[in-house]
Amino acid sequence: MNTETSIEQLLRWRLAQAEADAPPAPRAARLLALSRPWWESWPEQFQSLVERLGKIQIAFGHAMAEPQPARVGHPVPALLVRPVETVETSVRVLYLDVRDGRLRFRFQSEKPFGSEQKSLDVTFVCEKSQSPIATAQASLSVDNEYRLDAVISEQLSRAWEQLRVTDRMPFRLILRTE
Amino acid sequence: MRDAPRAKGLLISHDTAGMALAGRSRTPGVLPAPHLAACHLRETRPTEGKGGGWRGGGRFRATWRLGVDAANGVLASVEEFAQPGDMDSWSDARLISAIRWDPPDERALDTLVARYWNSLFARCQLLVLDHQKASDLAQETWCRVLRARHGLKPEGNFPAYLMTIATNLWRDSNRSARRAGPMAEQWLMSLDATRPGEDGETLALVDVLPDFNSIQKEEQSRLKLDIDAALERLSPLLRDVLVARYLGGESAAEIARRYGRTEQTASGWVRRALRQMKAHIQDSAAGIPTNTAAP
Repeated sequence: MNTETSIEQLLRWRLAQAEADAPPAPRAARLLALSRPWWESWPEQFQSLVERLGKIQIAFGHAMAEPQPARVGHPVPALLVRPVETVETSVRVLYLDVRDGRLRFRFQSEKPFGSEQKSLDVTFVCEKSQSPIATAQASLSVDNEYRLDAVISEQLSRAWEQLRVTDRMPFRLILRTE
Repeated sequence: MRDAPRAKGLLISHDTAGMALAGRSRTPGVLPAPHLAACHLRETRPTEGKGGGWRGGGRFRATWRLGVDAANGVLASVEEFAQPGDMDSWSDARLISAIRWDPPDERALDTLVARYWNSLFARCQLLVLDHQKASDLAQETWCRVLRARHGLKPEGNFPAYLMTIATNLWRDSNRSARRAGPMAEQWLMSLDATRPGEDGETLALVDVLPDFNSIQKEEQSRLKLDIDAALERLSPLLRDVLVARYLGGESAAEIARRYGRTEQTASGWVRRALRQMKAHIQDSAAGIPTNTAAP
């Protein structure tokens, strides 16, 4: 018996044991409820946030008139939604790359979030249609940057492939704390 | 009676199922395009009526969901969908077809989840090495699949797709953990790191491994812990490579493609994973305490 065969046998045995120890499968209804995006579960809340997000457009105009550091692009209006309050803010997109159906995105809030949020649920809202287009988890990195790396739809991937960090972003963000 | 087209499909409800769609013939057959994706058949008056359906003359209320995506080919025949109570015998393709549309068929989803839950959980268990986390990962995998269900390809290899989603989620969580700083250092074991005893092959692995079928329950539990401990001491990359190669059946070339590296590199990872795994198992057998923290 060589090492390769032995390890394979060992792993297969362990896999079989794990299968035998599997908990009951979740019901379809529960999985469907869990997989539903938050804006479908709470459409009124989403609508109210989108309306508020739309009003940040004025602040966006002012922000653009101010000199910006060269390394960052346009500010993106954002709402930080905490359990106790919702704060209007904007973020700087530091990096955006769409390749092979994945979005790699880094951003930084222009105003400190106050308390440190280790992760954020980021919802991309289409600037034109005000509809939700993607959602992903972003995690806090160095220098108060947030990063996310997520699979996006083919349609979105095609639409954003040419997008550069210096372009005006076709979306706004709803940032939800966990 | 036709309802308005919904999403990519078209809903048609009518009595005396089959008549309208199978060329006004009672003979079940393959439907012409647009293709049949799912059918819910409900008997309304089982013994009345005059030869309404193909199930012995009862009248039926049927709702047909028609797929208009010709790229996916013919999905099923009338005959297949005339037996909705027997979903366990449905192929993956038929079940997937039934969950692709809005609203998805919950019974089909229950059947599909039950079919692959145990194997998915087991794979997750070998990746995360924690029962609760494995269950969470398996559940999250299904949620991801459901969020993307409109784009599922019924003819694809569904179990392989499930395992890939689970592995990607696990890899993503490792990436996040690495970015999280010192708390995640346990995952940062260098690929070049050596372990005490790695090169000292004083024990032959064949002497260490018992006959799995003959060992007692207590020994089985110990062996499970030893294997989990050995897997935990591998870096996430090597653990993924080992599981993908020997349990997922991926070739070194496929693993290399997934990581964007050369086949030689992936082969090297497989060899290193085997070597380290062997050393860790030998450590356990020889009673050498294991240390799961990174060096």
